[in-house]
Amino acid sequence: MIMKSSSSPLASLLPALAVLVVLALVPALGPSNRILSLAISAGINIVALYGLAVLFGQTGILSMGHAALVGVGAYTAAILARDLGIGFWVALPLGSLLAAAVAAIVGVPSLRVSGHHFVIMTFAFGQLLSIVLTNGGAFTGAATGLDLQLPVTWFGRPAGDLVPYYFIVIAFVAISAVASWLIINSSYGRTLRAIRENEKLAASLGINVGRHKIGAFVVSGLFAGVSGVLLAYFFRHISPNQFSAFPSIYLALMVMIGGARLLLGPIAGGILVSFLPEMLNLDPVESRILYGICLIAVILLLPNGLIAGLFDGLRALGRRLVGSAPRPNVPTDGTSETA
Amino acid sequence: MLPILIQQLLNGLSIASVITLIAVGVTLIFGLTGIINFAHGEFLMIGSFVTWLAVQAGTGFVPALVIAILAVALMGLVLERGLFRFTLTRPTNGFIVSLGLIVVLQHVVILFFGPNQKSIPRPLAGVWDVGGVRIASVRVMVILVTIAVVAMTFVMITRSRYGRALRAAVEDRDTAALMGIPVRRYITGVFVLGSALAGLGGALLIALFPVTPFTGGTMVMKGFAVALMGGLGNLTGAVVAGLILGIVEGFSAGYGFSEWTDAYSFGLMILVLLVRPNGLFGGTSGPKMA
Repeated sequence: MIMKSSSSPLASLLPALAVLVVLALVPALGPSNRILSLAISAGINIVALYGLAVLFGQTGILSMGHAALVGVGAYTAAILARDLGIGFWVALPLGSLLAAAVAAIVGVPSLRVSGHHFVIMTFAFGQLLSIVLTNGGAFTGAATGLDLQLPVTWFGRPAGDLVPYYFIVIAFVAISAVASWLIINSSYGRTLRAIRENEKLAASLGINVGRHKIGAFVVSGLFAGVSGVLLAYFFRHISPNQFSAFPSIYLALMVMIGGARLLLGPIAGGILVSFLPEMLNLDPVESRILYGICLIAVILLLPNGLIAGLFDGLRALGRRLVGSAPRPNVPTDGTSETA
Repeated sequence: MLPILIQQLLNGLSIASVITLIAVGVTLIFGLTGIINFAHGEFLMIGSFVTWLAVQAGTGFVPALVIAILAVALMGLVLERGLFRFTLTRPTNGFIVSLGLIVVLQHVVILFFGPNQKSIPRPLAGVWDVGGVRIASVRVMVILVTIAVVAMTFVMITRSRYGRALRAAVEDRDTAALMGIPVRRYITGVFVLGSALAGLGGALLIALFPVTPFTGGTMVMKGFAVALMGGLGNLTGAVVAGLILGIVEGFSAGYGFSEWTDAYSFGLMILVLLVRPNGLFGGTSGPKMA
């Protein structure tokens, strides 16, 4: 069932790191500011996607209010900077912890209900948060939101420009990838997957299913908080509608398109969704229609995401070329049902 | 104070009528097919836009309403046959497909008609003055139409032959099929019926308020909140929860908390689910999968 079972754990980390090294070389090519900005916002999304992938890919529960947790991180950064003059590097852990705490607060009641209901509960909490932010008066800047003026520095040097900030974001993407790799290959990751595959069986083995689900939600909140702080310091202005229902849907879409169970999935999903409209020269409305169609197509045709689908396709092709019978231990991951 | 309160209550109930129509559709579709269709709100929004187009083209409100119902029912048929049919064994995939549909439907409407709000002249302009309470006849019309349609749906589900077959199929799909019930056709039928209710809701909504392509998003969340509060899959529950939401929203607007209106449905839902995870009246967990 688990894709990497046939190879050593390290083999799954190396491609992701290789891709990140290549991405880190991008500024050397002298890309336009537009491309670099897109890449930064893609990277910020990818950090949150890694959290969502732990939740959805490993534990099998989907959050449709994830943008709200990103929003908690972003608003923490902006409010700390405004009221206490606390800068980027201190805001990062604080925003992350606060988002995780909110995830716990949301998770405890939400996980009392199961399956579909949980998804709808997370959606409702996401909506509630954006209503609270809108009605929060001067503290949250109401519907117009907040500005953030503190500079980002890196060992005393300004790092708020596009190129240095790009490197900071890449570094956090790398940290997120390694962190989620560590989770996937730990006994904790195995526990989460056991819950995903069969909740009742997991419970009968003495796994505290409820606590682990909340735990996974809190872990994904940590990632979301970091992503939020990065986002606030990049855009320099945040408002409630950046964290409402639709951004949450787009995050889920990215993780689906990339594939939630593979380490490369979030990177692939984040980059594809950010750059595809640019490459095809679509306006925002057209590109959103395209996202929607992609999401539906991926779910119906490649339920494990684009990258996993690609691998499966290549493997099937290879098998056909070699002409041998399919090996019995070839991981089948549900794709065979729809193929 | 009292007249204003009664007026606000009426306003709350008229909006809650539209939300109840969504909730009934959502609950029916979930109860039989297990499909969580979040795009149901977009169906409603498209119902509103079809009504607007028809009224623009010169038809009266009633023909426009009928056209909206038929158009959205047809759309439901096409989408069920073309998309949701393939997700019946994996309800989560159906849910995600519906999220994709939200994005597609919403932006296709924006592409053709722009993001601005659309409105039609009020089909009933009369305002009655009953002892100082000003009652807009259009709101009463919306409430009455909703009561009639929901009652009809209810009778159909509980009393008719088709309703009985339908409930048998919810109970046990395979046995129902063995008894000669064309289960697949019933699934399509229920999806189309739910879509038709959304079309009707859309027509009624644009009679009350201007509608934008984004209206569907908030409305479906409230519809789901109501359906969950009542117990997903439970028709009676959806109606009662819709009534509760209407009263709460009406009163809160009457006492001057209107900016928090959108929060009540979600807040109420979270509260109800905390105390009773299966909703007030107990829901089903969808059709039993063999």
